[in-house]
Amino acid sequence: MTVPWAADRPYLSVVAPLYNESENVTPLIAWILEALGQYAKPFEVILVDDGSRDDTWSKVVAGAAGDSRIRGIRLARNAGQTAAMMAGFDHAQGQVIVSLDGDLQNDPRDIEALVTRLEEGYDLVCGWRQRRQDKLLLRKVPSWVANRLIRRLTGVPITDNGCSLKAYRRDLLDRISLYAEQHRFIPALSASVGARIAEMPVRHHARRFGESKYGISRTVKVLVDLLTLKMITTFHSRPLVGFLVATLLPLAVALAFGICWLVALTQFGPEKAHAMVFPGAAALSLGTAFYLFMLGLVAEVALSNERESATATPTAWESK
Amino acid sequence: MTAKGVVIHPEDHPAAATPLTSDRMISVIVPVVERVDDLAALYREFAAELERRGEEFEFLFVFDGGFAPSPELAALVEESDRIHMHLFSQRFGETAALRLGIARSRGDLLVTLPAYFQVRAEGINPLIDAVADGAELVVANRSPRLDSWLNRLQSRAFHQILGGIAENPFHDIACGVRVMPRRVAESLPLYGDMHRFLPALAAREGYRVSEVAVPQHPNDARVRVYGPGVYFRRLLDIATFFFLAKFTEKPLRFFGMVGSVSLAIGAVLGIYLLVDRLAGHAISNRPLLLLSVLLAALGVQLMGLGLVGEIIVHLRAPHRRAYRVRDRV
Repeated sequence: MTVPWAADRPYLSVVAPLYNESENVTPLIAWILEALGQYAKPFEVILVDDGSRDDTWSKVVAGAAGDSRIRGIRLARNAGQTAAMMAGFDHAQGQVIVSLDGDLQNDPRDIEALVTRLEEGYDLVCGWRQRRQDKLLLRKVPSWVANRLIRRLTGVPITDNGCSLKAYRRDLLDRISLYAEQHRFIPALSASVGARIAEMPVRHHARRFGESKYGISRTVKVLVDLLTLKMITTFHSRPLVGFLVATLLPLAVALAFGICWLVALTQFGPEKAHAMVFPGAAALSLGTAFYLFMLGLVAEVALSNERESATATPTAWESK
Repeated sequence: MTAKGVVIHPEDHPAAATPLTSDRMISVIVPVVERVDDLAALYREFAAELERRGEEFEFLFVFDGGFAPSPELAALVEESDRIHMHLFSQRFGETAALRLGIARSRGDLLVTLPAYFQVRAEGINPLIDAVADGAELVVANRSPRLDSWLNRLQSRAFHQILGGIAENPFHDIACGVRVMPRRVAESLPLYGDMHRFLPALAAREGYRVSEVAVPQHPNDARVRVYGPGVYFRRLLDIATFFFLAKFTEKPLRFFGMVGSVSLAIGAVLGIYLLVDRLAGHAISNRPLLLLSVLLAALGVQLMGLGLVGEIIVHLRAPHRRAYRVRDRV
């Protein structure tokens, strides 16, 4: 996946995933070049066409033709935003990488400020969209709820997890592998590998061309993904601990039904308390607790098989 | 999410063989499993057709356990260095035979051919031409079908079910006659019974897949009656394919959804019982309580399973990429 490193390697790589953004490609390139016109260090722009069905790719090719700083990657099929971002990251040559949306809603004029902030000693700087220009009920409310949940669950104090405009150090991206739809959880995943994270306000614009690729249906999916996130950030080195914590609930339920049974026995005597409902319910709950414990062991087995590669020796963030 | 396979109609590909002046080599892989016709005759017909096209080619026969070459074929192998044979010591099945064939062949273009006459030998031409035109996997679509109406109906039903899942307009996905460049064959995840879904697998990987109508061979058309076990296995294959296509990266999406439905029903029943108890009715003799606890327990267990799946996926993530690059500028 690595591209041969040229001698005059760019310092900054700007990565933008594009999916059916035909009308936005050319203005986006122009805007980024204009915003970085005064930027002192060499930079590159990587446009990732995520299997678009319109003529996004030919616009990318046209944009790249006149300027060696513009590079395009075309994915064989629509692989989703996370995979498209990963494709961009894998091809980026810079030490500093900035991701932004391909729909002109992020403002490239914020790139320099993010990079400056990163250079102050952070591994990840997240944009925080000010005066967000999206539909209230469909976009803003679900996003507000999701952000609160992510904050509570992971303890990473980022206000706007969904903003694509972010700056990363190469070191950080080498440490996290994003898959499925994890681009929303980059701050939490980065924190779990020890990254120093900052957040700063960025501008946000209303969509000019094309359609939004999101809907409210994803909220339920985000909830399921949050459970996964908790598991892999908090318990990924000791899944058994996570599963043991989870056994507490069925154990408590089993205990409650056991007490019900005892009360029935002592109050009404054995002949009236012959119904097997309470002991049955207690046994089911106890069985579930036992099952979760066993699952935790299976997870440990899976982990031990991969341990060497998964938890490679934790290296220091900075060594001098 | 899936790339649509392009369906190429026969009129786009005149049957007349266009001579190819490249020095590429074609490897024909014949997995000998289940049904076998006269392999020497099969070789002679298809070799003659490839010869006529002026192609460089080799044939690889992979015999599954329990199958052995006929003396006539063995003699052909002896005298020609264009035919190779590999014999499995036990039954490993068609997918394993294909994998071995892919690994041992040397050609740039791979043709898979069943061990019996499925299409006429001249049917190979439009398939090879379609690859030359840019398709990355071409599968034959036996058309017109000469099978009995019963078999045609079965095939229809199978593709209907599959079409709803794979989102690809395939008509004869399990046809054993396929052509693909080596790089495509080597990148496909071939295991289990996945050979049946090879075109759908390739489309899912983002390759340009096309289907080319080719006349069915009369030998192929006979009434095939299967036991119920075969139908059950096909349905299982489809279910596996569906699961792998949608949830390999996010198992908890599947287990979590099913589990939370179960948990929710259990919880609703539990709340109903609790309200009833507070209203003064005893619940110690209500089997509904057991159902409620059972459903809740099942829901929790399914979610636990999904989480284990997520851990496994997470561990594999550093070695795996969910995208394939088609082009760069």
